[in-house]
Amino acid sequence: MADGRWGCALGAFPHLPFPISYLLYKKMNVGLEHYLVVSALLFALGLLGVITRRNLLVMYMSLELMLNSANLALVSFSRFNDNLNGQVMVFFIITVAAAEVAVGLALIVALYRKRQSAHVEDLTSMKL
Amino acid sequence: MNLSLMSLEISVVALGLVVLLADLWLPAERRRALGYVAAAALGLLLLQNLSGCCSCCVAGGDGTAFGGMFVQDGLSVFFKRFFLLAGALVLVLAVEFSDRIATGVSEYYSLIIFALAGMLFAASANDFAMLFVSIELITITFYILTSFTRGKVAALEAGVKYLILGALSSAFMVYGIALVWGTTGKFNFNELAQVAGNFTDNKVFLFGVVFILAGLGFKIAAFPFQMWTPDVYQGAPTPTTAFLAVGSKAAGFVLLLRFLFTAIPSVTAHWDKLLIIISGITILYGNLCAIPQRNLKRLLGYSSIAHAGYLLLGVAAMTSAGQSAVLYYLSGYLFTTLAAFTVIALVMRHLDSEDIAGLAGLNQRSPLLAATLTLAMVSLAGIPPLAGFFGKFLLLKAVIEQGAVNHGYYCLAFTALVGVVISLYYYFGVIRAIYWSKDAASREPILISTPMRVAIVGCIAGIFWLGVAPGAVLRLAESAVNALHCPGLALN
Repeated sequence: MADGRWGCALGAFPHLPFPISYLLYKKMNVGLEHYLVVSALLFALGLLGVITRRNLLVMYMSLELMLNSANLALVSFSRFNDNLNGQVMVFFIITVAAAEVAVGLALIVALYRKRQSAHVEDLTSMKL
Repeated sequence: MNLSLMSLEISVVALGLVVLLADLWLPAERRRALGYVAAAALGLLLLQNLSGCCSCCVAGGDGTAFGGMFVQDGLSVFFKRFFLLAGALVLVLAVEFSDRIATGVSEYYSLIIFALAGMLFAASANDFAMLFVSIELITITFYILTSFTRGKVAALEAGVKYLILGALSSAFMVYGIALVWGTTGKFNFNELAQVAGNFTDNKVFLFGVVFILAGLGFKIAAFPFQMWTPDVYQGAPTPTTAFLAVGSKAAGFVLLLRFLFTAIPSVTAHWDKLLIIISGITILYGNLCAIPQRNLKRLLGYSSIAHAGYLLLGVAAMTSAGQSAVLYYLSGYLFTTLAAFTVIALVMRHLDSEDIAGLAGLNQRSPLLAATLTLAMVSLAGIPPLAGFFGKFLLLKAVIEQGAVNHGYYCLAFTALVGVVISLYYYFGVIRAIYWSKDAASREPILISTPMRVAIVGCIAGIFWLGVAPGAVLRLAESAVNALHCPGLALN
């Protein structure tokens, strides 16, 4: 049964990539939940990046991903609830994130010049 | 829109810009004194605020601006005075520290003033957008302030650690705000309070609230979000550490109080257990980890975690007595911590690290500084008759009064007492280093400039005043927290 369903999904829209063809086959309306799931996934991926990666720049990129997942959630809530306040908040977040990146990259570059390294394992000058 | 309500914030931002611009025209040797000018200007603003008795504006008293985003009430006025006082004292300390800043002394002063402006906005924030922007204004400014002495690796490391963990916590907070707003459709705290009761079973809403609490917990250095504190306190320049310990923490607490008790009181009422556990663990963690520390600033970092735990006692009590105790404790903490960091900045100026051994012979080098640091440590430990004792007494009283409702409060009060006993050990280790150390590295007397002396004597006076005559500040704190419970009829 399951095979047939997946097969039909592939066969019905052969020119489209699989996830989209599956959605079209199922005649799914992309709703608020889908956006929220994507935003939660982005947030989780960003968090995973911050936790597992050891390079400061990659960690910082992951942090930006987390901020943007919040933006996606705000925009989709705003769209589906017909309330524009969320999009105004997104502008605040983008502005603040830009300021944060400006300062953050400057700090990371300054540290790199001093230590010739952007790895968190090297940040050990202060210990008990 | 009522711009006159914001006259204080506008003046502070203008002061920051003036300091920044004055740098262009002043000769290099006179830039240092710019800090005194800025501190005096903040002192004048504070006096004007105090003399205007309960209104810092012509319009007279309370009100809201920007469609309810910005609120002027008893609580915000209390915290604005608090932040102005802290900012002025930190600027005096920064002037003393300025010979260790290679370039851009005026930038350092103006960044302190901009962080202060962020704190003033935080005191008035009544809306998630305002909360987010003001907290980021504080945090991003502090990233720079932390690594301002960028020739030192420790400062850069501290800055980068603060940056990564700070950005992580703000990402959590933003996502939390998105979830809370998405479920309720309200940014404004007062509007949210009216509908929050319908969402107490909504998982998405509760996740959002937890995420926002994570962001605020980072600011106040509460238990699961405290990792940055010791490193940042140790690596940052001493005036920055002092401002971080006092201003940033207080800003976190005013936002936490407003969020928990104005925006979502119906949710907070169910979360007494969570607050009790966080408060208890924070107290124990801070105090236990402080025991083996040899670096004075790192020790004060752990002690600051412990104090965040004590302050959370008042939040966990969820009564107006607890909240006013938080305000009172913060006032005592301001004088005590600033006194301690001032002494550290003066004594350790020629040393590479702020090791406790560097305090040896302080009693001979400068009796005033020795007495100040002793008083600060005794007050932090909570010995009568100083400010720290009365603050802790009020917090414990508020918690024990709630014990009848939930027996967890008795356990919490007991944990806090255990924490106080542990803390006696390491605070007295510092005092022992001052008076009973044998091998002093240096015996030359320490020179203290007149403004610095005034600031130190002011801090000592504050420690005694809050410990011996608590009435005035306590009444202020009690009337300030009224604003949390009846936002429409904020008292002053």
